[in-house]
Amino acid sequence: MNAVIDVAREQTRARYPDEEGYVERDGVRVFWESYGEGERTILLMPTWEIVHSRSWKMQIPTLARHARVVTFDPRGNGRSDRPTEYEAYMRAEFADDALAVLDEVGVEGAIVVGWCDMGESLILAATHPERVAGLMLIAPPLSPFEAEKCEYPFEAVLDTDEGWAKENRYYWLRDWEGYLQHFFSECFTEPHSTKPIEDCVGWGLETDVETILAGFRGWDTKELDPTTVVELCARVRCPVLVTHGTADALTETQRGLDLAHQLRAPAILLDGSGHGPHVRDPVKVNLMLRDFAGLAPEPRRWTRGLSRRRRALFICSPIGLGHAQRDVAIAKELRKVVPDLEIDWLAQHPVTKVLEAEGERVHPMSAELANESGHMESESAEHDLHCFQAWRRMDEILLANFMVFHDVAREENYDLWIGDEAWELDYYLHENPEEKRAAYVWLTDFVGWLPMADGGEREAFLTADYNAEMIEHIARFPRVRDRALYVGNSDDVVADAFGPDLPLIRDWTEQHFDFAGYVSGFDPAVFADREKVRAELGYRLGEQVCIVTVGGSGVGGHLLRRVIDAFPEAKELVPALRMIVVAGPRIDPAAFPEADGLEVRAYVHNLYRHLAACDLAVVQGGLTTAMELTANRRPFLYFPLRHHFEQNFHVRHRLERYGAGRAMDFETATPAVIAQAIAEEIGRDVDYLPVETDGAAKAAERIAELL
Amino acid sequence: MELVTDVAREQTRARYPDAEGYVDRNGVRVFWESYGEGPTTFLLFPTSPISQSRLWKAQIPYLARHYRVLTFDPRGNGRSDRPQEAAAYGYWEFVEDGRAVLDAAEVNRAILTGLCDGGGWALMLASTHPETALGVAAIAPCVPYLTRGHPNYAGYPFDEPLDTDAGWAKWNIHYWRRDFRGFLEFFFSQQLPEPHSTKQIEDCVAWGLGTDPETLALADEEAPLPWSSAEEAEAVCKAVSCPVLVIHGELDACQTRERAAAVAALTGGTLVGLEGAGHLPQARHPVKVNLLLREFVESLERRAP
Repeated sequence: MNAVIDVAREQTRARYPDEEGYVERDGVRVFWESYGEGERTILLMPTWEIVHSRSWKMQIPTLARHARVVTFDPRGNGRSDRPTEYEAYMRAEFADDALAVLDEVGVEGAIVVGWCDMGESLILAATHPERVAGLMLIAPPLSPFEAEKCEYPFEAVLDTDEGWAKENRYYWLRDWEGYLQHFFSECFTEPHSTKPIEDCVGWGLETDVETILAGFRGWDTKELDPTTVVELCARVRCPVLVTHGTADALTETQRGLDLAHQLRAPAILLDGSGHGPHVRDPVKVNLMLRDFAGLAPEPRRWTRGLSRRRRALFICSPIGLGHAQRDVAIAKELRKVVPDLEIDWLAQHPVTKVLEAEGERVHPMSAELANESGHMESESAEHDLHCFQAWRRMDEILLANFMVFHDVAREENYDLWIGDEAWELDYYLHENPEEKRAAYVWLTDFVGWLPMADGGEREAFLTADYNAEMIEHIARFPRVRDRALYVGNSDDVVADAFGPDLPLIRDWTEQHFDFAGYVSGFDPAVFADREKVRAELGYRLGEQVCIVTVGGSGVGGHLLRRVIDAFPEAKELVPALRMIVVAGPRIDPAAFPEADGLEVRAYVHNLYRHLAACDLAVVQGGLTTAMELTANRRPFLYFPLRHHFEQNFHVRHRLERYGAGRAMDFETATPAVIAQAIAEEIGRDVDYLPVETDGAAKAAERIAELL
Repeated sequence: MELVTDVAREQTRARYPDAEGYVDRNGVRVFWESYGEGPTTFLLFPTSPISQSRLWKAQIPYLARHYRVLTFDPRGNGRSDRPQEAAAYGYWEFVEDGRAVLDAAEVNRAILTGLCDGGGWALMLASTHPETALGVAAIAPCVPYLTRGHPNYAGYPFDEPLDTDAGWAKWNIHYWRRDFRGFLEFFFSQQLPEPHSTKQIEDCVAWGLGTDPETLALADEEAPLPWSSAEEAEAVCKAVSCPVLVIHGELDACQTRERAAAVAALTGGTLVGLEGAGHLPQARHPVKVNLLLREFVESLERRAP
C-alpha cells in the first residue's frame, strides 16, 4: 500500500500560531510556536525527531481555546536545525530546548505533555520542578525495568527486510520511506488509520535519514536507561497522569503502568488504542487533557429536566450553500409541528449569511469554528476540487469543530441535534458514543465515497476503507443516529457498491435511511406566473436571460471566466441574450469585465427567484442549484468540478434520473462550445420529472417524533 | 393534601452504617453514624432540628461506595438529645458537635458538607479549624448577617398570636403549638417547589415530627446567633482557606441567591446554580448533587501533589 500525497504542502490548519520564533542553544536553532492565551500554559513536547510538532494538530486548536499552548519542533525535524553530532540528540538537550522555549515565551510554569517521551519530559519535570505544574505522558516507552532486546541488531547487515528487520541502519539508508510506512503502520494499529499514517510518514520525510542516523544508535541508547528513570521518577513532585493504549504495538502497555507506578501516578488505559491515541482517539485524549489541566470546568448552572425549554441545535455544513437553504426550510416546518421549539445554529460563513438573512439565531460559539469553506477553496485548482482528498485533509479542522460542538453541547441542554452533512459530528459521535446526550438526526443528500478513475488503486482502496468504517460505525452503534434522513428518493442513490466486498450503496441506504424526498426550500408554484416574476426582477420584454452562478464557494472563478469568454459569441447567436453573472460572496465581481448585455453581481439574496424566471442557467455540478432549476423546469448547462466525486457521480446520477440539465465537460468546453450550447438550450421547453415539494415537511415530521 | 405515612417505621435503607455511636458534650449526647471506608471522608452536617441526618439518605449510599461518610443527628432531633435551654442550640454547639464526631470516628480531615444551617456550620468549622477541612461543600448555606435573610421570614412576628394562618404566618410558635404537622407540610412544600415532590415532602415532614415545637423554637428562634454583624460573617468566610463548592437552587425559599453568591465570592469558591430547583436539591435532584460532590472530590484529588 503506497501512501503519501503531496507531503510538501501542509494542509490547512484549524488554528495558526499567534507567535512563533526560534531559540538558539550552542548554535542549534529550535523553532517554536505559541497559540492562544490563558492562565495556564500547556507545553506539548515533541517526541523523537521522526516527526515534528504537527503531531499535536488534533490538540492545539481545542486546548488553545482555553489555555496558552506552546509547541516546538525537535532538533532534527520540522523547522528546527539538523545538527550532525550524536551528542546534540541526547534527551537532556531536548529538555533544555524546552526550557529555552519557555524562557523565550515568558512562561514560568507549564503543564508538560509528552508523547512517547524518551526522557526529555521526565528530565524536565525532575530537574526543574518549578517549571512543570503537571506532567501527562502518552504511551511512554520509559520503564524502571530493562526492556527486551530488539529482535534484530540495528547496526548489522541483515539478509531480510521483513517486519522489524526494517529497523536497521542499512535498510534506513536504502528505503527510509519504507521504514516510516512500517513504523507508523505499527504505531496506528487501529483499522481505518490511513490518514494518521500518511501524516506521520509525511512528517518523517521532512527530515532525512542522515539526520536521523546522527542521533540514533538503537533504542537502548535512544531512551533513558532504567536506573536513570527510577532516579528521575523519585524527584518528580508535580501531579502526573499516564495514559497508554492496550493495543500499543510499539511500547507494551505494561511499561506505561510500570512507569505510572514508579511515579505514584494514576494510569488511564485506553482499550483498543494503539501508540498514538492523541491522533487516533483525539476526542478522548483532549477531554482527558482538559480535565488534567483543569481547563473548562463543569458548567456553573444546571437546569432540572422538566424546567428545560425545548431546544434543538442545527449543525449545518458550510460546504455548499444549499444546506443552509434546505435546513432553514426544514426548521420552518419543524416549528409548525413543535411550536415551542427553540432552534440554535452552529454554523459558519457562508451559511451564517443565509441564516442571518432569515432571522435565525446563530450560536455565538459559531465564531470559534475553524473555516471549512476556506480550506475547500485552498484545495481547489482550475475548476477542479478533489473533494474526497480535500475532505480527508480537513481532519484537523473537523476535529477542532467537533470539540467546539462538544463544548456547546456540554454547556447547554439541547433535546435534539440535527447535523446536515455535519461530518465531524457524525464521525466523532460514532467514535465516542458515550458523548451522545441528545437525540440526533443525520441528514445527507449522498451516501458513499466514490473514487475518481485517475486516483488509481490507492483512491479506490481509501474510499472503500472510509465507507467500511462508516458501515461498521452504523452496525455497531445503531443508537447513535436516531434518524438518518436521505434528502431525495431511493432511486436518487447511486447503484455502485461501497467497495470490494462491501454492500451496494442503494440497498444499504434503503435499509438504514428514511427518504424525505427532495427538500428545495421553496415552492415552485409561487413562480407559476413567470412573467410577473420576470417583471419584478427587472427583466425586459423579449430579453433572453441567462443566469451564471457557481454557488457560495470561491471555487467557481474559472468557470465564470470561461462563460464570460463565451459571451460575445453567444450574443451573436442569441441577439436578445442578457447574461447575469452571480459571483457569490467569496468572489470579487470587480475581477470580471462587463459588456453590453453582460452584468456581474455579487451575492444575490433569493437567487432562486432568478433561477425560477430565467431562460437558461449555467451552473456547476452542485446539487442544490441544479435541483432548483429542475423543480422550476428551466433549461441549464452544468459543469461538474473535476475530481469532485459527488458532482460527477451522485448529482449527475440524480439529474439524469430527472432528465434534467445538460452535462458539460470543463475540459472540452471551449468558449465556442459553450456559446453553441447556450444557443441550443436557451428558452427550450423541458420534460423533466416533477420534483416533490413536501420534502421539508416530511423531514420535519420525522424529526419532530424525537421531540 | 392528605399525608399518610407511618412515621414511626423508617423505610428500608439502601445502606446501613458500619459503625455508630454517641458523642457527649456537656451532658448532651449526639448520635453519629459512619458508612464505608476510604482515605477521603465526607462529614455530612445535619441542619437545624427541623430535620435529621436522614436528609442525606440519597447521598450516603453513593458516596459510601467511594469514600467514608460520617453523619450525625442534630441535637434536638433524631437519636440525639433534646436539651431544653436555648444556649444548647447556639451555632457553635453544632460546629463543635461536628468536630467531636470527627474525633470519635478518628478522622483528621474531611470534606465538610452541609445544607442551610449545616452549610454555615461547615464553613465555621473550616474557618476556625482549617486542619479539619479538605474542602467545604455548602448547599444553600445559611450564614447569618452575611446578607439580608430571606424575606419569607420577615413578614410576621414569631412569638405573637396572629389573626391569620395564611402562608408564612405559619412561621409562628402559636401556630406550631396548634398544628405542628400543618406547619411542617407548609414549610416543606415551600422548600420543595418542584412539581411532583410528594415523597420528599412526606419524608421531611416525618423527620420534622421527630422534634416538637418547643425544641424547634429554642433552636431556630431563641438560640444566640454566633455574631451580630455582616463584617463578622464576612470574616468567617474569608478565613476559609480550603476549596469551596456552593450549590444553590434558584427557587430557594429559605436562603437567597445573594447569600450563596457572597459565600462563593468570599471563600474563593465555585457557585453552581440549579435552575428550577428549590432549597433541598440533595433530596429532589440527588443525581446532580451526587455528581457535583463527586466531581468536587476529584478536583481536590487533582490539586493534591
